[in-house]
Amino acid sequence: MRTKFSGFLTLLLALVVQISFAQQKTITGTITDDTGMPLPGANIIIKGTQTGTQSDFDGNFSISASVGQTLVFSYVGFETQEVTVGAANTIDLTLSPGTALDQVVLRGYSRQNLSVATSAVVSISAEELNQMAPTTSIDNMLQGKAAGVQVTAANGKPGQGAFVRIRGTGSLVAGASSPLYLVDGAPIREQDLATIPNEDIADIQILKDAARTARYGSRGSNGVVIITTKSGNRGRDATVRVSSRYGTVSRINPNYRMMNASEKMQYEAELYALGVTAASALPGVTTLPGSPERQFLLDHSEDWEDLILKEGILQNNSVAISGGADKMDYYFSVTNDRNTGIIDKVDGFERLGTRLNVNFDAKEWLSLGVNVGYSRAMSDEPRDRNNTQNPFRAMLEYNPYEPEFVLDADGNPVLDENGNPVYNPTMDGFPIRGALETEPADEIRNTTLGSLDALVKFNKNWSYNFNVAVNWQARRTESYSQPGGILQGFIGDADHPGNKLDTQRHLVDLTISNRLNYNYASEDHNLNVLGLYEYNMNEMNFLSVRSLGFPSALLTTQWNASKIESGNTQRSRLTLVSYGLFAEYELFGRYSVEASVRRDGSSNFGEDVKYGTFYSGSLGWNIARESFFDVEQINDLNVRASYGSVGNRFGLPRYASQGVVQFGSYPGGSSTLPHRIANPDLTWETSTTLNIGLELAMFNRRFRAVTDYFVRNTTDLLFDVPKAYESGVGFVLGNIGDIQNKGFELSLQGDIIRTNDLTWTLGGNILFLDHKIVSLPDGESISPGNTFGIYWEEGAKINEHYYIRYAGVDPATGRGQFYGADGEIYFANELPEDTEHRVLQGKSSIADKEGGFFTYVNYKGFGLRADFAFKAGNWIYNIMRMQKESDGLYINSNQAIGAMDYWKQPGDTGVLPSPIYATDDQTVMQNSDRWLEKGDYIRMRNITLSYTFPNTVLERTPISSLRIYLQGQNLLTFSNFWGDPEVGISSGETLSFVDTVAPGEATLYSYPNTKSFQVGLDISF
Amino acid sequence: MKKIIFKITLLTLIVGSFTACDSELDQVPFDEFGTENAYVTAQDFENAIRGVYSTLTAGPLYGGSDSGGMYDAPDILADNVTSSTGGRFTRRALHNWTYGPADDPMLGLYNAAYVLIYRSNLLLSNIEDFRGESKDNIVGEAKALRAMAHLHVATFFAKIPTQSSDANGSLGIPIVTEPDANATPSRATVGETYQFIASELAEAANLINETNPVGRLNKDGVNLLLSRVYLYMGEWQKAIDAANLVTKPVAPRSSVVGVWEDTNQDGLLFYIPNETGVLGINVGVTWSQGSPNQLRPEYVVSYELYNLFDDDDIRKEAYTFQGNGYNAIKKLFGRPGQSNGQVDLKILRAAEAHLNKAEALYNLGREADALAALDVVRTNRYTTPPSGETGTALRDAIRLERRLEFAFESQRFFDLKRWGLGISRDGMGDNSDGSGQASESQNLSSSSHRLQLPISQRARDRNPNLEQNPDY
Repeated sequence: MRTKFSGFLTLLLALVVQISFAQQKTITGTITDDTGMPLPGANIIIKGTQTGTQSDFDGNFSISASVGQTLVFSYVGFETQEVTVGAANTIDLTLSPGTALDQVVLRGYSRQNLSVATSAVVSISAEELNQMAPTTSIDNMLQGKAAGVQVTAANGKPGQGAFVRIRGTGSLVAGASSPLYLVDGAPIREQDLATIPNEDIADIQILKDAARTARYGSRGSNGVVIITTKSGNRGRDATVRVSSRYGTVSRINPNYRMMNASEKMQYEAELYALGVTAASALPGVTTLPGSPERQFLLDHSEDWEDLILKEGILQNNSVAISGGADKMDYYFSVTNDRNTGIIDKVDGFERLGTRLNVNFDAKEWLSLGVNVGYSRAMSDEPRDRNNTQNPFRAMLEYNPYEPEFVLDADGNPVLDENGNPVYNPTMDGFPIRGALETEPADEIRNTTLGSLDALVKFNKNWSYNFNVAVNWQARRTESYSQPGGILQGFIGDADHPGNKLDTQRHLVDLTISNRLNYNYASEDHNLNVLGLYEYNMNEMNFLSVRSLGFPSALLTTQWNASKIESGNTQRSRLTLVSYGLFAEYELFGRYSVEASVRRDGSSNFGEDVKYGTFYSGSLGWNIARESFFDVEQINDLNVRASYGSVGNRFGLPRYASQGVVQFGSYPGGSSTLPHRIANPDLTWETSTTLNIGLELAMFNRRFRAVTDYFVRNTTDLLFDVPKAYESGVGFVLGNIGDIQNKGFELSLQGDIIRTNDLTWTLGGNILFLDHKIVSLPDGESISPGNTFGIYWEEGAKINEHYYIRYAGVDPATGRGQFYGADGEIYFANELPEDTEHRVLQGKSSIADKEGGFFTYVNYKGFGLRADFAFKAGNWIYNIMRMQKESDGLYINSNQAIGAMDYWKQPGDTGVLPSPIYATDDQTVMQNSDRWLEKGDYIRMRNITLSYTFPNTVLERTPISSLRIYLQGQNLLTFSNFWGDPEVGISSGETLSFVDTVAPGEATLYSYPNTKSFQVGLDISF
Repeated sequence: MKKIIFKITLLTLIVGSFTACDSELDQVPFDEFGTENAYVTAQDFENAIRGVYSTLTAGPLYGGSDSGGMYDAPDILADNVTSSTGGRFTRRALHNWTYGPADDPMLGLYNAAYVLIYRSNLLLSNIEDFRGESKDNIVGEAKALRAMAHLHVATFFAKIPTQSSDANGSLGIPIVTEPDANATPSRATVGETYQFIASELAEAANLINETNPVGRLNKDGVNLLLSRVYLYMGEWQKAIDAANLVTKPVAPRSSVVGVWEDTNQDGLLFYIPNETGVLGINVGVTWSQGSPNQLRPEYVVSYELYNLFDDDDIRKEAYTFQGNGYNAIKKLFGRPGQSNGQVDLKILRAAEAHLNKAEALYNLGREADALAALDVVRTNRYTTPPSGETGTALRDAIRLERRLEFAFESQRFFDLKRWGLGISRDGMGDNSDGSGQASESQNLSSSSHRLQLPISQRARDRNPNLEQNPDY
């Protein structure tokens, strides 16, 4: 293969006999909209080439072009204009509002030249990102922005990302359904997106269908998200842009309330009276109402939610300087983000970032570019686990009559030998407030993203591009259990107090890319052919050490520790070699065709199946440009269709096809631990996607619509096939099974009012998703690992919940009832034995309708924008509610006020079961769908009131633009769900982000989502 | 000239970057080792057999578990412990016998046992062509461990042969002797299961060394297991014969406390040292966490059992302690001065040989010999040991001594099962004076299907040939 391809390249090179260079000059100018406001981020492309730039924040641009070449100016939501380069060195241009369709689209390895799209791509510009005053991670911002893109926030932890699914869940193993993210060509993991400062992002492109994703071969099957960082404008003086934002963040108020001290004690007494013996030792039973003992408890009661949570601080400051000279442009930035989060005593998340992007023309035929960004993200890592070591569980768990500190008879805190108050271990036995001080854990990620580029222009048709993209992350974590601390009392070694774990992980992802481009453009024809040869290497190096025995809690390294407990290093490597040939052709500005073929070899596939070939073909036709088409109101009517195959290797471990053992330690020496069974046939899974789309622009492009229909079949599913327990091998990875996602996407946007002073724009998008499991290994249904109650069955939806159906409370006895497999109603102890009563009910953790909408009003510089996100059709297993309305099962810990509403007398309906049956019925009850709730919600993600000062005011100042704003996030939620309906991770240590198979399956005390208020300022001079 | 340099540079760039690549696709793991290379030399098989042993340190076997393991489940299912309100309410379904197939009761043990069996089978299938002198010993160890894993599964999930007259024909467990990832075996009968275990152990006893490094079985250990299995099978004479082959003496009274604090290893036939850096497992958290003053026990010594320990019985001090108002379980609590639950994993002890023998002799009607065997243990536990029982009193004395000697140590539930007894608890609370909250369920009849745990629904989902126990 190598020789063949080299031969092909040599042949192509041989064709390049004549290298000539046209006369170039630098053109500068300003792009404004029809109201005279500058348009930042507008695209300027030299027609027929892949050379282009973007306007800066003030609408200024600079580009180097030859006389006679045509410049194409475009901007999302505006009509594209073309200007031929003549004698003038300045081009000032006003774009009129118009289509969203003619935007210049960054695509696999090249910029699109075609004016008639053939593929489903969504683009989100810097300006749009800016309007949303981003949270700390960009994936969260994608929610509700793009049709077909489902975003589920992992949790509310500062700096935590989201689960992004493009056109459904394309795979069944954990981590395998995430899209491929590229930052200036370097792949980045979904969980690391928060390391990128948002201010540096010029635009985000989401490639949805095979026409585009097939260019990414064995990695593109779940869609591709291309993040491009900003660059400066040539021939313009430096523009300095300063942005600053400050605000507060707090938990979104829950729609339930926990009991206070007197309510909890009353509840305890009630349950004890019913015969719930577990309440016998609780103060609601052991103290009498009105007694001094009861009064003491009431006087010293605690609102644990109040105590553990705080109102946090959000802060963002950034400075960006951009500009350019005749033959170069630059962008420089420094940013700082801080989000303290909402846990008292914990610092939360902070990110420092700096970036320099420089492009310059070294020769007339040679351009060089360097994009380098460094960021340092620091995050406190409180335990996200399913016990009281997690503050969010503890705050709901501790009883309100339990004080923070151990109290003496006078109600004063008891002091330890050092004079510090002694924390009350509470009934849970673990004082989290003390632990937050003595069990610190944090994570620091140092990330360097670099993209180095050399572009050689042979002549006006041929060019060669050499690119090296690096993503280097050094991640350090520390978790310390201080000597004398809370955990040491439980598991500490008395002779060697204190315990600390340090880990370091270096991740290097290196992509070396060679691209040879041929471009031909004439009046009627536009042809672009790209040959690609690429090598990608990802290497992980890890080391960890744990020591015991710290003389002082103030010592935070292991240097002074008395005893090393464990230490190890790890390394792994994954490589990919790719060849691609991509072609696009447009005729008469009306018809376009694209085709691609890519061949990938990946090191983790089986020996003889390392290489896979992926292809796509697509067509586009702008009917409105036909002479026979004669509907004046319609400006564009673009029909497109694509089909292609894409691979997926996410979720597949490195070396996954090889049979291996590992070694552990055992007294006497090494111990051989069989680890993986060889599977030499193991290969990528394949998605084939059919996409049919329609793009429409009407009424002078005031109304715009895009709709797509897709069918996405995933075959050869990468699958951890569960083997019989008796085999002793656990799971064996294979390529078995098929799933299907199909859906319909619709995006609408229109200017309801458009006058000089006032514009009002409404827009929105929605995905209707239909998915099912087509086939599974041997047709057998599967209870997948890393889920709570998900069951996979052929013909069922992906990730359906599997529980016994709860039939409500029997009004006569107050006992919970259930549907048996036969459809009859039973009490738990009467359910027929040896029968499976759990059923699939079509209730999946995946939303089947998802999207967003926004309204934006602009009047004389005042802007009011509101963005909403919504989700419907998904079901969440609400374990938190199970434990907080527990019918007395968890009477030792605090309960929600709703727990009081249980059956009390015959005839009561719409109530919780009587607590007297809770223990007997527990097994069946907790295996029932009583707590399976609809996850539908609409949330106002963002509301912003802004004012942009007019040029007439700024003229006499050095300031070129000034915007101030007031913003609230997550202020309104509409949902019937008990608790917060935006559920991603259940509990981070039960199922981590990367291990989560069914995001949003269940609630289990992970970091709650937050709301915020912020004021901000953007100023340029 | 310029053109030529340019073209050469360009070609170098392209071609140069090409040559780096196709071989880069052949990646070999750094942290793992090809299975085909792992079972070749004598050292490989030493490593491999230690790999089988290391499975025993899994939580659900002997590593200490809060979802049920060999150290705790046989007592939690029986009458030696009372659930404590001071703990985290773990394993309540086991303790209250409310488990059903969907609760996956003891699935961890089921899984870990078959992982051990797979590792043994992989070793045994690879050792066939090996000609080294260590072969017999390693085969003996692998077979003994494999038999032991089968036994642990069988005692929880199936009847024990002497439990009832229909036991031998009832559902046993799947017997697995080949390393086959695709195996979906069905359940043998109880009779077949125990025959298999006994014959494997007998073969292992012939092959294994008299002495092996610490942390590994030897002839004494295998013979003890064999005597236990014969006892479970009602093969009294064979149980006696096997027990007689156990040579190590019972720990004397003076060293009993130290055995559980790892200051001596008297009477231990098979234990696994638990040192930080090698294992370092906090196995004791299966019973409690925290120092005595702040103890958070999951389960405490039942009031009845606590009072069955005579004041001059050294085991009262060795097995129990007063902590935070509870009669707490001491066996796995920690080494001297420690409360972190890190102690050696004791798995087989010499005292069992004598108690097995006493019981078997009694069943053969040889009461005097039975009493003598029983007294071997008792004289090493009491300053003034009880003695001289006959008839039913002797039987009860043997049973009582077994309960006391092996409290919190992997036996009680199986003993009650195989004696055809049900479980009746004392109804007392969890505090040291018997007040406080009693366990929610108190009695389980000797005919209850719940004496055989249900096969987990998950396990049956994965193996359609797996039949469920009756009445679940």
